Amino acid sequence: MQKKLLVFFTIICAAFLVLMVRLISITRNNGAEYSMAVLSQQSYENQTLPYKRGKITDANGTILADSTMVYNVIIDSKVIGEQPFYMEPTLAAAEYLGLDKEKIRTYVEEHPNSQYYIARKRVPYKDKLAYDDWVSKGIEEENTKKGLLEENKFYNNIKGIWFEQNYIRTYPSGSLASDVIGFANNSNVGAYGLEEYYNDVLNGVEGRTYGYLDEARNLETTTVEARDGDNLVLTLDGNLQGIVMKYLEAFGEQYRDNDHEGNGANNIGCIIMDVNTADVLAMGSYPGYDLTDPYDTDRLVGMPKLSKIDEATDEYLTKEEVDAFSEKEQTRYLNALWRNYCITDYYEPGSVIKPFTVATGLETGTVSPDDTFVCEGRLHVADQWIKCHNIYGDGTLTVAEAVERSCNVALMYMAEQIGNKLFSQYQKTFNFGLKTNIDLAGEAKTDTMVQAPDMGPVDLATNSFGQNFNVTMIQTITGFCSLVNGGIYYEPHIVSKITSSSGATVQTRQPRILKRTVSEETSEMLRDYMVRVVEGANGTGHSSRPAGYRIGGKTGTAETLPRGNNEYVTSFLGFAPVDNPQIAIYVVVDRPNVEEQDTARYACVLAKDILQEALPYLNIYMTEDLTDREKQELEEKGLRDTNGLGD
Amino acid sequence: MSIFSPKKRRRGLEAARAREWIPFKDYTLFFVIAVLLLFGLVMLYSITSYQGQVLWGDPAFYFNNQARYTGLGLIIMFVAAYFPYAVTKQLAVPVYLASVISVLLTLTPLGYSANGATRWLDFKYFNVQPAEIVKVGVIFLTASIIDRLGTRVNTIRGFIIPLIPSGIAALMIWRITRNMSSAIIVMAIVMGMLFVACPFYKPFIAMTAIVGGAGGYWIYHTVETAREFGVTADFRGERILAWLNPQAYADNKAYQTLQALYAIGSGGIFGKGLGQSMQKLGHVPELQNDMIFSIICEELGLFGAIGVMMIYLFLIWRLAVIASNTADLYGALLVIGVMTHIAVQVILNIAVVTNTIPNTGVTLPFISYGGTSILLLLAEIGVVMSVSRKLGIKKPV
Repeated sequence: MQKKLLVFFTIICAAFLVLMVRLISITRNNGAEYSMAVLSQQSYENQTLPYKRGKITDANGTILADSTMVYNVIIDSKVIGEQPFYMEPTLAAAEYLGLDKEKIRTYVEEHPNSQYYIARKRVPYKDKLAYDDWVSKGIEEENTKKGLLEENKFYNNIKGIWFEQNYIRTYPSGSLASDVIGFANNSNVGAYGLEEYYNDVLNGVEGRTYGYLDEARNLETTTVEARDGDNLVLTLDGNLQGIVMKYLEAFGEQYRDNDHEGNGANNIGCIIMDVNTADVLAMGSYPGYDLTDPYDTDRLVGMPKLSKIDEATDEYLTKEEVDAFSEKEQTRYLNALWRNYCITDYYEPGSVIKPFTVATGLETGTVSPDDTFVCEGRLHVADQWIKCHNIYGDGTLTVAEAVERSCNVALMYMAEQIGNKLFSQYQKTFNFGLKTNIDLAGEAKTDTMVQAPDMGPVDLATNSFGQNFNVTMIQTITGFCSLVNGGIYYEPHIVSKITSSSGATVQTRQPRILKRTVSEETSEMLRDYMVRVVEGANGTGHSSRPAGYRIGGKTGTAETLPRGNNEYVTSFLGFAPVDNPQIAIYVVVDRPNVEEQDTARYACVLAKDILQEALPYLNIYMTEDLTDREKQELEEKGLRDTNGLGD
Repeated sequence: MSIFSPKKRRRGLEAARAREWIPFKDYTLFFVIAVLLLFGLVMLYSITSYQGQVLWGDPAFYFNNQARYTGLGLIIMFVAAYFPYAVTKQLAVPVYLASVISVLLTLTPLGYSANGATRWLDFKYFNVQPAEIVKVGVIFLTASIIDRLGTRVNTIRGFIIPLIPSGIAALMIWRITRNMSSAIIVMAIVMGMLFVACPFYKPFIAMTAIVGGAGGYWIYHTVETAREFGVTADFRGERILAWLNPQAYADNKAYQTLQALYAIGSGGIFGKGLGQSMQKLGHVPELQNDMIFSIICEELGLFGAIGVMMIYLFLIWRLAVIASNTADLYGALLVIGVMTHIAVQVILNIAVVTNTIPNTGVTLPFISYGGTSILLLLAEIGVVMSVSRKLGIKKPV
């Protein structure tokens, strides 16, 4: 027996020896290779951490754009495939998260080695929280049950589902200020408006978690936190913007399908600006779109069809046509919809330019306030007759009366006195043909839209009343502010402050004076003239006067090209209150959907409605007594008499 | 016989018969066991601290559990050491039956499963692996049977009789708890005991040839089928293919093996140093159980790995010495059973880790994490100590 024990021990020793040789051979033959394999499979856990794009708030702190934390649901097929009994519980969990069970099953079966499949995007934080709760409660409960077979457990066998943090852009204001704000996609690339202009400011810097081996070959993990983007605080007042948008939409609705099928007007734009700083207080256009769903093609219905060079035609889009759009067409029209009419579109401004022409004359001394002009309804310039809109003639007019009645003939005489050189020089002074550099993406360049200094007499004559050159709304109202405020031209802007994610102020934008356009005296005279437009016996802008207030302004009715097809851009450019101007308002109605477009009334009434509600909101109180009819109108609108509140 | 029986011990043996002896305290054996246990605990802490932190929020989770079982095991060991082992001769059948019943219990709600097989009994406060109990039961029963057979063990019939109950137990472990490796170990223990007890070689050579031939054919068949049809539906067949070509199954069947090989290969001669393993950071599955040796290789290198093997060899040698010197056949057989148990597990474990044989789950005695295993191993050592006490010396008059 002892002999056999010795043999047995020898056999065991031999087995040990074989294993030792095997160990040595592994180390010797594969040592280097396996060492590499070990190093190469260290997960360095390189993971980017998303930053939060800055938010945009209005002057009152109301959030217009924000980024919300959401979660992507990631499916890891490899983990699910580790045990056959992981599948069902995991699929049930996926279903709890709102996923299609069968789709995930198919995916996992077809891609058993996939470790990163984004099954669902944008799961809100609270849903993720509810899910976590559900699973952890389930596990807790299950772990108290003894004797449960591993494969019969449910919650413990939910494997291979994890979450990835992300941010999405949200626009709680919806369509309130879409033109101004623009929208950012989920890769944080802004399109249009502030989102595009301030893209780099709003974006932060991505963080990163990464692992590395230190000199002792320990795996170290380092996290560089993401730096969130900066926030924008606007000069824009959300409430004021709301008032503007309400009336623009109402107008659009009122005149929808009125004269022809289609929107209430091709475009309506409105800007309200602080005359003493050129802060944009409100800026909106019709037709608008909803930032929460910018790709909603229903908004395209009723827009004018575009010609090959993207100019509006007389035909309008129907629902059927929109639905039948190719992707390319759709993009073309969506781009037209997203465009900010107030800064991107240019048009012939019409008579709202007359105050600028008069100011040029007065400022250069080529026109005296006492000059008189005789209007016979038309004027022969060079070889052609140019009509006044009152074809019967306005008779002899002073400068003030010419503005009040909006007489083209008188303005043509003035332009003649000013001469093309000075006229052109002053156009530049008022920034026509130049960019205003407002801090919004997409401002149009209009340098080729104005006439050259060596323009002929016909161009000069028509330019005097705002035809034959193009402007943008922002140019017009910014220049107009300088006419009203005593001649100071401010650079228009819409962001007042940039703050960091922690709330510290990074940059404050003070009103920036660029130049003096006219003297105090000229400015005062023009204010007087423009009050007569609204209040004078022959004024063209009576309908723009909000009850209880004194305002000044100028109406405009410009014929669009091609001439003679009875299509007009009607507008009202005004300021309020008269005694101490604080705001300027510019309303443009581009081809209202009415039979007779050739009246500024539509723009005037719109301006009046907006001002009637906006002025009290801005703490500008009524100074004039109300007639019974006005009182009744106010009551119907739910507004009140603010006479005497300011005292 | 030379190395196992120095003259001094012989005299002691005669003294013991005269019942006038001083019990022999085998400090060497105790010392080897203590070294293995301490080394095992240190390695276990080094290897599982990361995993414990990740899975349980406590780096000492595995260590604490193991230390608790080790403490309990030491108590059992001392109790067993002072327990007259001869009494167990009568208890062998009940112990065997109890161990067999414990296997059957896994079919009841007491059964607790992990990784797709029901191998544990859940007694609320602790879990027990019946296969471990069976190993002890079979050692007692086989020793008892051979002892009773006496010289009849020299016949073929005497050779086959001990194989029947252990064969049944092994079959149950294999079929009921789906634990083929434990079944193999049970059979190996019996074969080892028989090999030493029976004076002949031929049946063993024949059996080795049969098992080897069958195994060889199975491997050949599996490989051929796989080559012909491109697939093998058999779970064990896949293990064979993974064993022969681990790189091809790196994602799946051979993942564990390959990671163990990576660990061994990257350790080099002196290893990365205690606690410096990179493979333990989640790359080696079951690293605290079957794969613990690979991390020992990674951290302590060839030097440490061969050192550990030498300690085991020394332990086995020590057991062989005790067996050889024990005059009582039953006691000697018990020691041989324990020795075989330990030797087979060490050999199979290291063979699996080094991909010398196909992957099957075998733990490394005294070092691998596992309560039942450590308790029963220490109990077995206690029995050996009890046997060795009889090697006492005569009281000086």
